[in-house]
Amino acid sequence: MGAQTMNPFIESFIYILTGLGVTLKYTLIALTGGTVIGTFLAILKYNHIGEFGVNAYVSFLRGTPLLVQLTLVYFVLPTLVGFPIPVFIAGSIAFSLNAGAYITEIISAGLNSVDKGQFEACNALGIPPLLMWRDIILPQAIKTIFPAFLNEAITLAKETALISTLGEQDIMRRAQLTAAEHYTYVLPLVTAAICYYLLTFCLELLGKKLEKGLCYDYSQKSI
Amino acid sequence: MITVKNLSKHYGPQQVLEDINLEVKQGEVVGLVGHSGSGKSTLLRCLHGLIAHEGAILRNGRTGLIFQQFHLFPHLSVLENITYAPIKVLHQNVIDSREKAKSLLHRVKLWEKRDAFAHQLSGGQKQRVAIVRALMMEPEILLLDEPTSALDPTLVQEVTNVVKELKKEHLTLIISSHELSFLRQTVDRILFLEKGHLVCDQDVQTFFKGDPESKSKLFLSAFYKQNNFLHSNAEVTQG
Repeated sequence: MGAQTMNPFIESFIYILTGLGVTLKYTLIALTGGTVIGTFLAILKYNHIGEFGVNAYVSFLRGTPLLVQLTLVYFVLPTLVGFPIPVFIAGSIAFSLNAGAYITEIISAGLNSVDKGQFEACNALGIPPLLMWRDIILPQAIKTIFPAFLNEAITLAKETALISTLGEQDIMRRAQLTAAEHYTYVLPLVTAAICYYLLTFCLELLGKKLEKGLCYDYSQKSI
Repeated sequence: MITVKNLSKHYGPQQVLEDINLEVKQGEVVGLVGHSGSGKSTLLRCLHGLIAHEGAILRNGRTGLIFQQFHLFPHLSVLENITYAPIKVLHQNVIDSREKAKSLLHRVKLWEKRDAFAHQLSGGQKQRVAIVRALMMEPEILLLDEPTSALDPTLVQEVTNVVKELKKEHLTLIISSHELSFLRQTVDRILFLEKGHLVCDQDVQTFFKGDPESKSKLFLSAFYKQNNFLHSNAEVTQG
């Protein structure tokens, strides 16, 4: 009898857990896309190139709900470009653009935390811009950037649940389908919550490990 | 070694340097003095080519600049700080670069600190690392911006010794400083800047004799007053 009641639970759990792959996929795409966009825009902003455009982008993307951005890309963008956009592409674009706005601000704060004298020292030594950014400025900025970036990664992992509104079978969508099938919300939603928590917990652990490796052990910045 | 013609620099409406003309010969050690805000640091940055300016600067050799606040790279060790640019910018061989770093660090008595980070060094040690970092780039002209301002008197002596060593090697040095006793021991000639104008260009003996007509007399009298004060205090302590 116990086995009979457990089976649907295990089945549902596995079914919902399978959605983890979809959630993870969108999280990684958004983080990668967002980091590329954010790094590029933060460097532009730092050098006062197209600052107004960058600020407008950040302001709009931070000032509107992600669900609105997602539906805009999925439903409105196709009418502008003239062909349908698959859910996967729409989700990737919307999440990346949204993450890009937050990451732009995170990286900007990191760059501003680096002493201006470091740029002068690089120029005085004739270090070319690419090496200056890669070897001198970003390694120092990362100490400030990383904790906020980790927060953004965790937030993103949870926000990807919005892709369920477009029918993508992520953790949330699978939990909703299971609930509808069994006429009970408690177990599917608790399972979904556990899955999200496990995901963010793992991200946090991974982040802490990475933080130790990436952030140099120097305690005072004012040299 | 350096020829400056009609050099001017302004930040927005503020004129920082105006119509500076000067010539510095090879091996000459020149002190740059003046009140705070007179344009000393800006002049050094212009001489190095770090900032845009009006007028012409002809440099006959590579220029190195040592900053008042050192600006060592805090995430790199002393050895990495001083070998990074020679390896990445001058494309020197890693082993050769390290050998050179070793010899220079031995010279300034910092070899044992090669793996330390900037925050683990004293002000004098940071200054010496900054000097070595600039020397690693093999400059013919070395510009030092207030090299003693962040140092206590013992550490000033350390830097004085290093500068004297550099002078022996006939390196062209231009040193901005408020520390007149330091300049008296190290430089051949003094340039006095006032509100962005070069108002006095004299050899060191003449400068310290204190020409009553010179615009540097107020600056110099403050220096002598301070020295007399220190001297009389020392006598009181000894008495």
